[in-house]
Amino acid sequence: MGKILIVDDTLFMRTLLKNILFSGGHTIVGEAGDGDEGVAKYKELKPDLVTMDIVMPKLNGIEALKAIKALDPAARIVMCTAVGQEQMVKLAIKSGAKGYIIKPFQAPKVLEEVKNVLAS
Amino acid sequence: MSEFEAYRGLFVAESRENHENLVKNLLLLERGTYQDAIDEIFRSIHTLKGASASMGFSNMEHLCHTMEDVFQLIRSGAAEISPELVNLLLACSDLIERMLDDIEAGGDSSSKNPAEQVKALKEWIEQRGGIPKVNTEASLNMAEAGQPAGPAGDTNTENLPEYEMQITVASDCIMKDVRAMLALGNLKSLGTILSVNPTIEAIDEGKFDSRLELVIASDAGEVALKTAASGTEITEVVIRPAKKPATMTPVESTESSKKAETDKKQSQSPDKSREIKNLRVDIHQLDHIMNLVEDLVINRGRLKQIAEEHKIKEMDEAIGMVDRSVSELQNLMMNIRMIPLNHIFNRLPRVVRDVAQYDSKEVEFVIEGGETELDRSVMDGLNDPLLHLIRNAVNHGIESPDIREKAGKPRKGYVKLSAHRDRDNVIIELIDDGAGINVDKVKAKGIEKGLINPDVAETFTTEQAIDLLFQPGFSTADKISDISGRGVGLDVVKRSIEALKGTIRVETTTGKGSRFELLLPPTMAIVDVMIVRINEKRLGIPISSIVEVANFRRNETHQIGKGEAILLRDEVLQILRLDDMAGVSKASEILVVVQYQKRKCCIPVDVVEGKQEVVVKPLSGFIGNTRGVSGITILGDGGVVPVIDVNTII
Repeated sequence: MGKILIVDDTLFMRTLLKNILFSGGHTIVGEAGDGDEGVAKYKELKPDLVTMDIVMPKLNGIEALKAIKALDPAARIVMCTAVGQEQMVKLAIKSGAKGYIIKPFQAPKVLEEVKNVLAS
Repeated sequence: MSEFEAYRGLFVAESRENHENLVKNLLLLERGTYQDAIDEIFRSIHTLKGASASMGFSNMEHLCHTMEDVFQLIRSGAAEISPELVNLLLACSDLIERMLDDIEAGGDSSSKNPAEQVKALKEWIEQRGGIPKVNTEASLNMAEAGQPAGPAGDTNTENLPEYEMQITVASDCIMKDVRAMLALGNLKSLGTILSVNPTIEAIDEGKFDSRLELVIASDAGEVALKTAASGTEITEVVIRPAKKPATMTPVESTESSKKAETDKKQSQSPDKSREIKNLRVDIHQLDHIMNLVEDLVINRGRLKQIAEEHKIKEMDEAIGMVDRSVSELQNLMMNIRMIPLNHIFNRLPRVVRDVAQYDSKEVEFVIEGGETELDRSVMDGLNDPLLHLIRNAVNHGIESPDIREKAGKPRKGYVKLSAHRDRDNVIIELIDDGAGINVDKVKAKGIEKGLINPDVAETFTTEQAIDLLFQPGFSTADKISDISGRGVGLDVVKRSIEALKGTIRVETTTGKGSRFELLLPPTMAIVDVMIVRINEKRLGIPISSIVEVANFRRNETHQIGKGEAILLRDEVLQILRLDDMAGVSKASEILVVVQYQKRKCCIPVDVVEGKQEVVVKPLSGFIGNTRGVSGITILGDGGVVPVIDVNTII
């Protein structure tokens, strides 16, 4: 069970994800609506794990990931992705992402990935 | 589906925002290729796709997915934006809007078949060589990204034990290559990968089946390496020492210390600043709160009256406090219900574009002041009249480019929609630089339609002639076009605006253009009225339409025709007796001068009781025609008092 920060530009996706994570016993310590806010909240909240959307306004997910990794190389970041975005996820992984979950989210898969990444 | 039912409202609300953003930026693309607009469109479509997929609305997802492909192609630089493409994409976005309507009504978008649009989009993509193999910056920084994470100063791998590993990814994994990459990434942080099959480049290109074989040099130990490689959707990790024997014992200190750290972190005080700053609230709940506030306002008045009657000092003080809270609550509620006009303005560029295209006209459309706020109830009623006026401006106002050129004007017409707050009102202005309203044509049409007779028409001022436009059954368009005519005329616009307690005014200059001004109250619910008494009957007159209260010298009235008038400060004012409403009164001593637009008249009343803030409730339909009364209000003593609608009474 970990403290999780959700970064996604839509309230819809955040709510969906929040409820899945909550059902898995995790604590949602914060939410951010774009990359900039995500980085700021990371600094402030020091979560155990971040779920990071890729396509977002201001700072996109890859840039935000890099910024967080620069602040904290041990940060555990799970990318939220969709079929067709493989290249972006690979780029994220090369930049230090620890996992990925695929939209539309399937609760068991999301929880498994989060559990594994938290344990790493 | 049912598990997502709870998200439907949120889905629709947010998808509508994305749809709006999509249309707005598509229209920008018509003016040129703007990278920002392309990125915004991509983001909106991508979000729409993701959300509809999550909800299981497959038709919508399918359409958005194909649109996303188109923008993939555009972003890669392999294709350019053309007017045809924008038209096609706008048609797609219209379909998305219809799908959202369907979903909002409880459907699942399956009744809206996107096959036609998808086919057109796919053809467009094929003509341009298909979707590119997107090689984003991904392959750029292989070395840069992988290395720094490795153990420090570890370039010399000669003394490290080497292991052979086989990693198998689950067959049902959706992105096997990404999983492989992830495992590789995790292993890299523990050692140096000496060889890997398939190669990293191949994996990067998606050439990965399900098994990864590699050799790694690391002192992290078998267990740690195995843990690093395993994870979600990894079915098997096999590890064995490579030919070169492992000399060192596995070290697991890093892992266990890390774990301890995590445990410590978790036991620390949880959830500090977990503040949610915005909420979405169902509008019906707001309406309900508003009703309760209105009831409070009424009862506050009642309490005040009781305290006054019985002269209870303590109660006075308490009421004073309640009074302040209620006022504040009321203001707060008003503010919460305020929505920026952009809510409806943002849809209008599309309308202008469509009408202009249909009429082969060129129009530059400018919006200003969209951030001005209006009460939701006013906003709801404003959409249709505004749409109609905008269509009119382009359809009837702006001339075709050739005619404009002949008249010495730029080919492109100019239409500006602006809004601003003016004291207690919101003013919306629509200006065009078109032909203006042809007063003679209007008069001729008025005569033809039997609305006026020729002699009277002669004496009509421009203003009076324009008033004809607002008469039911008047339409100057030579034939009903697909765009503006639709059977409703400006009379409907006028009635809609008046229903919102607003007014509409027109100014026009032949050859130069027209200006429509809508004056609207920011809210309809709570109004300042003057309570007056005629014949012992009480009436409310909205303070906003009162210009003066004067003494009534009954012997100074004059008969003009059938009407009665009085000279007040060098101005002849028509006297409007409310005998029908309150009965004939012989005791009227006070004149309340009211004004609507430029017309003034005065109402004789017996007593002015004072000013009061009241909640005006509209009359229900079965009471019948209530011209002159905008609604009723309940005063503190429980008395029901009609509130005069000055607009219709003059």
